[in-house]
Amino acid sequence: MNMRRYVATLPALALGATLSLGSALANPYEKYAGETIVVSWPALSHYQNAETLVEEFMEETGIEVEIDALQYLKLRDSQLLEMSKDEGEYDVVVWVVMWKGEYVSKGLLTPLSQFYTSGSLVDPEYDIDDIADAYLQNGGVVGGKKGYLPGKSGALYGIPFGAETSILAYRKDIFEEQGLEPPATYDELRAAMAKLGEAGIPAMTSRGATGHQVTAGWLLHLAPLGGKIFDDQWNPVINSPEAVEAATVMREITQTGPNGIPSYGFSEASAAFLQGDAAMYLDTLKIAAMSRDPKLSKIDGKVGFALHPTGSRCGSETGGFAMGIPANSLKQEAAFLFIQYMTNKAGDQRMVDLGGDPIRISTLTNPENIAKFPEYPVVAEQLPCADADWRPLIPEWNELNLDVLGQALTKVITTDDPIQPIMDEANEQARAIMERAGYYAWANYRQ
Amino acid sequence: MADAPEKEPFDRSRLTPYLFIAPAILVMFGGLVFPVLDAVYLSFFDWEIGRKFSTAPFVGFENFTRMIVDPNVWESIWVTIRFGFWTITIEVVLGVGLALMLEKPIRGASIFRTIFILPLMVSPVVVALIWRYLFDARVGWINYYLGYLGIEPQVWLGDPSLAFFAIVLTDIWQWTPFIFIIVIAGLQALPSEVLEASRIDGANWWQQIFLVKLPMIKSILVIALLMRLIDVFRALEVMYIMTGGGPGRSTELLSLHIYNRAFATQQLGYASAISVLLIVIVFLLSLAILTLNNPMRSKSDV
Repeated sequence: MNMRRYVATLPALALGATLSLGSALANPYEKYAGETIVVSWPALSHYQNAETLVEEFMEETGIEVEIDALQYLKLRDSQLLEMSKDEGEYDVVVWVVMWKGEYVSKGLLTPLSQFYTSGSLVDPEYDIDDIADAYLQNGGVVGGKKGYLPGKSGALYGIPFGAETSILAYRKDIFEEQGLEPPATYDELRAAMAKLGEAGIPAMTSRGATGHQVTAGWLLHLAPLGGKIFDDQWNPVINSPEAVEAATVMREITQTGPNGIPSYGFSEASAAFLQGDAAMYLDTLKIAAMSRDPKLSKIDGKVGFALHPTGSRCGSETGGFAMGIPANSLKQEAAFLFIQYMTNKAGDQRMVDLGGDPIRISTLTNPENIAKFPEYPVVAEQLPCADADWRPLIPEWNELNLDVLGQALTKVITTDDPIQPIMDEANEQARAIMERAGYYAWANYRQ
Repeated sequence: MADAPEKEPFDRSRLTPYLFIAPAILVMFGGLVFPVLDAVYLSFFDWEIGRKFSTAPFVGFENFTRMIVDPNVWESIWVTIRFGFWTITIEVVLGVGLALMLEKPIRGASIFRTIFILPLMVSPVVVALIWRYLFDARVGWINYYLGYLGIEPQVWLGDPSLAFFAIVLTDIWQWTPFIFIIVIAGLQALPSEVLEASRIDGANWWQQIFLVKLPMIKSILVIALLMRLIDVFRALEVMYIMTGGGPGRSTELLSLHIYNRAFATQQLGYASAISVLLIVIVFLLSLAILTLNNPMRSKSDV
């Protein structure tokens, strides 16, 4: 064998190698085809509708997806247990935005920046700026100002999926009968509730079950009436005049609403409206898609949508869910591809067609969608008013939510006791919790 | 060399009984003693779920001191005691009454017996779900049928006293069959000579029951009572599903309170401390009942 022939084959080999390398990366999903990822998300209608899109993902990419759906408040227990192990079963977790602080402070999630540095994983047409800022900041960014607000110290841990803000839904037919206009302010709202009460029509449905539910109901009124949970030094202000007014509104709603509000969770409260037992619904915009679902609703076609009423300011809720990747997952790249697929422009539009909720401005302002979904212009108008500080998404929030506010507000809506002392006591308990968690260490140090 | 007194040669067969119960003891250690010791150990730490245990700070008796002054813990214990009192009294009365009615071989007795045992066969989670929807304020059957009697629909699971009544009712429905089975078995094992003798002596129906039959099944009743008492402190699923402990804390039994502390508010160390308290309470109660009436020691019954 002579050297020349050997050397002559080298360029051919090199060319062949480069060509084959090039074709190996032609399909971004190829490397992960055949893997199985497990997704943990809530058993709500948006996600049930998403299952069709998941099947399309499986067909297109060859990545298998197993879904573990639970009632949304029970998700946290199983996600925490799974993510605390050395190697976890969940590859994608969907969290309620109020848990993001806890998950990140315990180091349970992988920051998405790790994946955004990869040239092969990131879809150049994804356009992350198109995702509604309120949703992205609220659900996915953690560690900013005060730990949960947007800010330079924050990092992206999740993409919103099933995120929401609040709007007012009302029965056009009942309002017409009673000669009412959809209320734009809280004064108008309370007047409408009184008028409906007199006419014997249950006015507004609301969540009211002890714990997270009743607090969520109250928070809807706290922001627009000008209240907050903490001031800038983390002092709790749950007993401020605005907070007491919001609690009074909760009491009025319970007294003029459908029977059973103190036992209503999210499903029961929505069911009351969807089955025709209440004239108004002031909560997540998900009610719009739900009102068109024949399996859930008897009132399709009779529902009008309006902005969340304003008090001293406009302030609708920021909430819902975001999707991210546990740090102990073994299939993080496939998980990232899944998240990207479900939330890119095509995915968002498909979710809307399947009866879910959009996260992108382009989807909300698309004229075809607006023709089909009358609430979209309302949502698009509402989003700039979505209050990022609607609720403090700190790790201690769970304890405050369940033990302090959840108990105090139950007393507010099930008794006629004066509200100020109830809120004063709650404020003291909140302060004790914050003290124990160390939030006043700097203030005490600097004194 | 002084003569040592003759000792009996060691009889190896004396070890056999211990050998036979050794597996059971091992299982008991693994399944009972070890977790209890672990709970006591955990109660000295402040461990948040999700963080590694190695980072949990040692806090000594802080969890216990906090627990003693925590009004929520004591309210929960009080709810558990009230719950136990109402359910056990009514269950025993109903269970014994039904057993007395159905012990005779009257026609159809076996059918009734089968029907009455059914609630015990249903999974507690299913029981809780069914009763939750029966009690639902808007769509529940109970309100629907009460409407025919002219009673306004009640918010069963949203009112503190009504919710308590709801869980008591559910528990009675579910566990009366338990007392029923045990008592019926006991009654059927009673020697008929004693009853015949009492009848010959002129005892009427009332006296036969309270002065002859019931005293003879006393040890069985004590066992049933003990088991129900321990169950009351164990009960979790039904409350969790029906009310989650609400409204307020009106249906939050101690076990549910511990669950909420551990998982809802992430305080595993504190929850362990309360668990230790629960073990102590149950232990003391069992001890009290057993000293008053130890079924193992009495010789005068079946």
